[in-house]
Amino acid sequence: MLLCSLPALADDLFLDSQPLPQVLTATRLKQSAAAVPGSMTVIDSELIKASGARDIAELLRLVPGMMVGYTTGNQASVNYHGTSASDARRMQVLIDGRSVYRAGLATVDWSDIPVAMEDIERIEVFRGPNTVSYGANALMAVVNILTRSPANSQGSRVKVTRGERGINDFYASQGVGWETGDLRLSLSGQQDDGFDSDAVGADRRDGRRLNRFSLAVSQTLNAQQSIDWQLNAKEGTNQRPYTYTPVFDGISEGGSNSDVIAKDYAGSLRWNFEFNPDHSLYIQGSAQQWDRRQVWKACDAKVSFSPQLTQLWQLNPNYAELLARHMDTYSQGSPPPGSAAEQALANQVLDQWKNHGGKDTVCGDIDQSTRESRYDVEIQDTFSLSDSLRLVSGMNYRYDRADSDTYFNGTLDDTTWRLFGHLEWRASEHWLLQGGAMYEDSHLSGDSLTPRVAVNYLINPRHGLRAVYSEAIRSPDMFENNVNWSYRVNNLSSPAYGQNSGQYFVVTRGPGDLDKELMRSRELGYNGFFADLGLNVDVKLIYDEITDMISSPLRNNQYIASNANSSRFTGAESQFDWRMSNADRLRLTYAYVDATSSNPRDKAQTARNSGSAGWLREWGQGWSSALFYYGDDALNQYRFQRVDLRVAKRIAVGKTNVELAGMLQQRLDDQPTTWADNNYDHRHVLYFSAELDF
Amino acid sequence: MADQSRMTLLQLSRLWRRGVLLACLLLAVPAWSADILLTAAEDGAGVQAFTQALAQQRPDDQVSFTPLKDLPAPSQLPAGTRLILLDLPSLDWRLLDTQGPPTLVLRISRLQARQRLGNTHPAKISLLWSDPPLERQLRLIADTLPQARRIGVLYGADSEFLLRELIRFATPLGLEIVPQLWDNTSDSRPLQTLFKNSDVLLGLDDPQLYNPKTVKNLLLSSYAQQLPLIGPNAGFVRAGSLASTYSDQPDWLAVLDRLLDHPPANWPHTLYPQHFKVVGNPQVARSLGIEQVDETAVAARLAEGEKRP
Repeated sequence: MLLCSLPALADDLFLDSQPLPQVLTATRLKQSAAAVPGSMTVIDSELIKASGARDIAELLRLVPGMMVGYTTGNQASVNYHGTSASDARRMQVLIDGRSVYRAGLATVDWSDIPVAMEDIERIEVFRGPNTVSYGANALMAVVNILTRSPANSQGSRVKVTRGERGINDFYASQGVGWETGDLRLSLSGQQDDGFDSDAVGADRRDGRRLNRFSLAVSQTLNAQQSIDWQLNAKEGTNQRPYTYTPVFDGISEGGSNSDVIAKDYAGSLRWNFEFNPDHSLYIQGSAQQWDRRQVWKACDAKVSFSPQLTQLWQLNPNYAELLARHMDTYSQGSPPPGSAAEQALANQVLDQWKNHGGKDTVCGDIDQSTRESRYDVEIQDTFSLSDSLRLVSGMNYRYDRADSDTYFNGTLDDTTWRLFGHLEWRASEHWLLQGGAMYEDSHLSGDSLTPRVAVNYLINPRHGLRAVYSEAIRSPDMFENNVNWSYRVNNLSSPAYGQNSGQYFVVTRGPGDLDKELMRSRELGYNGFFADLGLNVDVKLIYDEITDMISSPLRNNQYIASNANSSRFTGAESQFDWRMSNADRLRLTYAYVDATSSNPRDKAQTARNSGSAGWLREWGQGWSSALFYYGDDALNQYRFQRVDLRVAKRIAVGKTNVELAGMLQQRLDDQPTTWADNNYDHRHVLYFSAELDF
Repeated sequence: MADQSRMTLLQLSRLWRRGVLLACLLLAVPAWSADILLTAAEDGAGVQAFTQALAQQRPDDQVSFTPLKDLPAPSQLPAGTRLILLDLPSLDWRLLDTQGPPTLVLRISRLQARQRLGNTHPAKISLLWSDPPLERQLRLIADTLPQARRIGVLYGADSEFLLRELIRFATPLGLEIVPQLWDNTSDSRPLQTLFKNSDVLLGLDDPQLYNPKTVKNLLLSSYAQQLPLIGPNAGFVRAGSLASTYSDQPDWLAVLDRLLDHPPANWPHTLYPQHFKVVGNPQVARSLGIEQVDETAVAARLAEGEKRP
C-alpha cells in the first residue's frame, strides 16, 4: 500500500528475492516526538547510567513537573505537580505494561518495585492524564518503565556499589540466546541506612535491605507470533521507626521498631500476534502479589480494649476521645456532658479505669500486615486502516483483592472492566487528530466514561504544535472508600476483659459511597528538534483542574473521606536536550507550577519552581563525567538543591569491559528532605561502583 | 595477354567488390546482429522475463537463454557469442575455462566476487555489481540526512575489505565512518555499542549480517534508539530501513544496452550500474521525524552528482 514501487517489482530478477519480513510495520511504528498527543519525557539508558541514581524515584527528578520527596528514607513519594502527601495515588506506574500501583492501599512502593536499575532500558513519562491509553489511575501522569529486552541483555554483567550511608548494592545478570528466543536472568540487592536523624536529632530508623530476582524470556513462535514472559520477586526489610504512642498517659513500655518485611511477586505473559503489517494484537495477562508483614509491640492501658469504650467510640468518636484523653479529670458519676447513653457508657469506662485495673499496662502485638493481589488481562488490537488512519482498541479485566485485618477487617475485593479505543488520523501532512475514550466499570465504584482529544499541527516532521483536552477519572481506591480500620492486639501479656487479644476502641470506616475524582486537563505545547544543532525542545502550558477530589490524608482516627475538595494547577514546563557535540550532552528542565487547592495539604507537595540541569561528557580514553543539578523550592516548605557528580573510567580488556565509577552527591542547602524528620548528618555522600561486563 | 589482363582486371574488380562487401559485413555484423547467450543454473519466470525484455531491447541481436546444464564448456562456444551470466553457478562454470566468449556477469555482489575470485580479474569477464555502490549510498545519506556525521557500519569477516573504500568515499563528504565488527550475530552487544556512537547506520550488502534472521533484531533495536538504517538493499527498505539506492530490471537493461553497443574489448572489468533509483520508507521516515524521501528528486540529484565527480 505504501511502498507501491516495490511490490510491483517483486518479480524483478534484480531485486533481492530474499523473503524479508516487514519489521517496522504501521502497527509497530510510533508517533514522532513532534506528533505525540501530549507531553513525553524519555529518560534513556545513557541518562540512567550517567545520573548514578540507585532508585527510580531519583531518576524522576529529571522529569519537569515531577515532585520527588521522601516520607522516610525507604519511602519515596513522587507526584506529578503535587497533591497527595505520601502516595502516588494519582499517577499510573507500569513496568513493561504491568501496573505496579498497589491493589488495595493505593500507593506505589518505589523502593519495593521488583526491578533493578540495571535492567531498565528507558523510562517514558507521559506528563498529563491519559486514562484512555493507560487506565483509570493515569490521572496526572504515567510512568512507564521499560526493561531491556532479553535479546539486548546477552553476556554476563556483575556490578557492586559501596559507599557512605551504608550503601551496599549488587547486581548480576546473565543473558542467553538461542535460535528462536532470548532470556535474561538477573539478581540484585540493595542496602542503605536511610536518613541519619529525625527532627530532634535522634537516630532515624529508615534503612532498607532487599534482594530481587528477575527472569525475562522472549520467544518467537513463528513469523506471526511471539511470546514474552517475566517472573519477578523481591524480598526485603524496610525499617520503620517506632511511632506508637499510647492513648493513655503513664504508659512507658513499648517496642523498638515497626519494621516491614516486604515481599513482592509478579508474573506476566504477553502473546503477540501479527496478522499482517497493518494489523496486530496482543493479549497480556499478569498476576501480582504484595506482601507487607508489619508486626510491632504495643503497650497501652488495659481500658483501651474495653468493649464499652469501643461502643462509645461508635456512638460518638469525639466524646470517646475527650474521655480517653482526660480519664483522670473525670470520675465515675461525673462523666463529660453528653447524652444519657454516652454518659452511661462513660461511667462504666471510668469504673474500669479507677477500680478494675484499667490503668494497668497491657502489652501485645499489633499486626498491620497486608496482602494484596491483582490479576489483570488485557487485549489490545492495533489496526492500521489506511496510511493515515490507525485505531488502537482493547479490553481489560482486573481483579484486585486486599487482605488485611487492620485495614479491611478481613478481605475485600473488586473487579474492573475497561473498554478503550483511540484513533489517530493524519488529516494532512500538517494536521494530526487523535482522540479516544475509555469506559470503565468497577464493582465498588460504578462506571464512567472519559474522553480525550488532541490536535497536533506539524510545521514540518520535526516541529509540532499541540493542543490537548482530556478528561480523566480516578476511582476511589479500596482504602479510601472501604477502609475498616481498627487495630487488634494479639498475644496480650495479661488477659483484658476475658480475652488474650483485644480490639482497640478506635475504628475508622470509609464512607463506601465516594464518587470518582474528575480531572480536566488542557494543554498547549510545542515540540521541536533542531537537527543541525542537535537540540530537542519541548515547552507546554498547562491548566489542570481536579474536582470531586478526595484529599483527606490517610490517617487513622477521624478519617472522613469525601469528594468535597478541588485543586487547580496552572503553569509551564520546558525541557531541552542538546547534543552539543559527539562528546557533550546538555539537558535542562524547568517547571513553574501554581497550585490552588481547597485543602491546603494538597498544595504542600507542589514546588512552585523546580528543575534540573545536566551535563554529560565523554573525555576520551574511557573517561566520562556527568554533572547534574536538581532543585525545587519549598516542597512541603523545604527547599531542595543538590549537585551530583559522577566520574567513570571504562577499561576494555579483550571482550571484557570494566567500568569504575565514583559518585558524589552534595546538598547545597541544609534543609530536611520533605519532612522535618528526614535529615542527614553530612551534606554530601560518596559511593563507588565497579562493573564487569563480559 | 590482353584478354588475360582484362580478365585480371575483371577478377580484381570482382574481388574488390567482394572484399568491400566482406569488410562491410565484417564491420557491420557486431552492430547489426550478435549472438547474446544468457545462462543460469535455474530457469524461472524472472529469468524468462528478463531474456524477453533484453530481446525486445535489442531486436537486431539473437538473444536466447540456455540453461547451464545444456551448455558445453565455455571454450566450445562460438567466439563471437556474448555471454551473460545470471547467477553464481554459471560463473563457476565460466571460470572452468580461461578461454571462452566475452562474458558479462550480472547479479553478483562485491562480497560474492571476492569470495570466488579474491583479487584476481579473469580475462574477458566483466563483473556488473549488484550491491548498491558505497559512494552512492553515502551520498544518499548526505542528501536525506544532512545532519548525520557519524555513519555506523557493521561489518563481518567477509565485508571488512569494503571499509577502506568506504572511508575513502566518506572523507570528502565530511562523513565519519564508525566501523563495528559483528562476528557473532546472535550476540547483539556490538549493535548497542555502535548505536551509541552513530547518527545513522549504513548497511553493507553482507548476507552474514543482514538476513531474514537478523533483520528483526537489527531494525527493532536501531528503531528503539531512533537510528535510521540506510540500505543494505531495496528489500530491507520494505522491512523497515529508511532508504536505499537500487537498480532494477529497466536500469540493468539500459546498462546492458550501452555495453553491448561497444566491442567486448572495451568492456570494463567491473562496473556499478550508472542507472539506478531510490526507494524510501515513508512510514519509517514519518515516525523518525524525517522528511519523506522524494525518490525521483533524490535519484536525480544523486545522478547529477555522479556526473560531476
